[in-house]
Amino acid sequence: MSATAEETSDDALLVLYANGDSRAAAVLTARLGPRVFGVAMRVMGIRAEAEDVTQEAMLRLWKMAPEWRPGEAQVSTWLYRVAMNLCIDRKRRARGGYVDLDAVPEPPDPGRSAAEQLQEGARQDALQAALMQLPERQRQAVVLRHLEELSNPEIAGIMDISTEAVESLTARGKRALAAALAGRREELGYSDG
Amino acid sequence: MADTDKALQELEDLFAAARSGRPAVPEHLNAAILADAARVQPGYQPAAPAQAARQPLWRQLTEALGGWPALGGLAAASAAGLWIGLAPPSFVPDPVALAGYEDSSTVFADGSYDMALMLSEDLQ
Repeated sequence: MSATAEETSDDALLVLYANGDSRAAAVLTARLGPRVFGVAMRVMGIRAEAEDVTQEAMLRLWKMAPEWRPGEAQVSTWLYRVAMNLCIDRKRRARGGYVDLDAVPEPPDPGRSAAEQLQEGARQDALQAALMQLPERQRQAVVLRHLEELSNPEIAGIMDISTEAVESLTARGKRALAAALAGRREELGYSDG
Repeated sequence: MADTDKALQELEDLFAAARSGRPAVPEHLNAAILADAARVQPGYQPAAPAQAARQPLWRQLTEALGGWPALGGLAAASAAGLWIGLAPPSFVPDPVALAGYEDSSTVFADGSYDMALMLSEDLQ
């Protein structure tokens, strides 16, 4: 593989991998692994589960590589879709699971005081707890739209629903999140001013 | 309404903070993913170079002659040659005469002479 591996498309890297290029897997893992892991963490709420989902989704990517037809779809979209389905399967198997608030990292910000960082950590915990209260599909749509910043058509492709359905899910999800957090405004340090 | 707007704005701020703090993939997970990739990959054969499709005879001939333009020129020259042969212009000498043949009517004075009769006489 050339020195410009980082500029190579996911499509091309997957074909290179299927053709025996050993470096392609490392580049794809560095590029796609964090995205899948981030989504899985938010959707599953449990670090160990998110790790399992990420590894399984990537394994399916490796196994699918020889059949990949470049240009027909985006590798990342395919991978998100696999990861979301794995999350749903695991949630179904483990109804009533707990929320591992420590699983969600606090945004690093060295410019903030310890108190501010604690407060931001509490807010992120509250966000994750509120996310976990949403119905599964709403949570997926909100995470993909507002945390992964994917477009509505792309989310529609991942979730296999219409763009209108994505808009509806994200709108309802946001309202539910705002309502869940509204009761904790004072606790989370939001002023009324 | 104002409360709703404020709550949604605070939610947007929370989303923004969450986006900036995307979790890093743990080292052991990275290693496991790459180990899976290395385990699966040897089963794949590098794609064989596409074998040139066997071409039909007519296409091979066309290409040997120089492709469609050459074939077109050949057809035009053949048609012109045939036309000149059938109806030569007046300034072109008669090719039959040039070849040393004469009109059959000059050979047989008697146009009613029967070839079968001549042959039978020869055999007697």
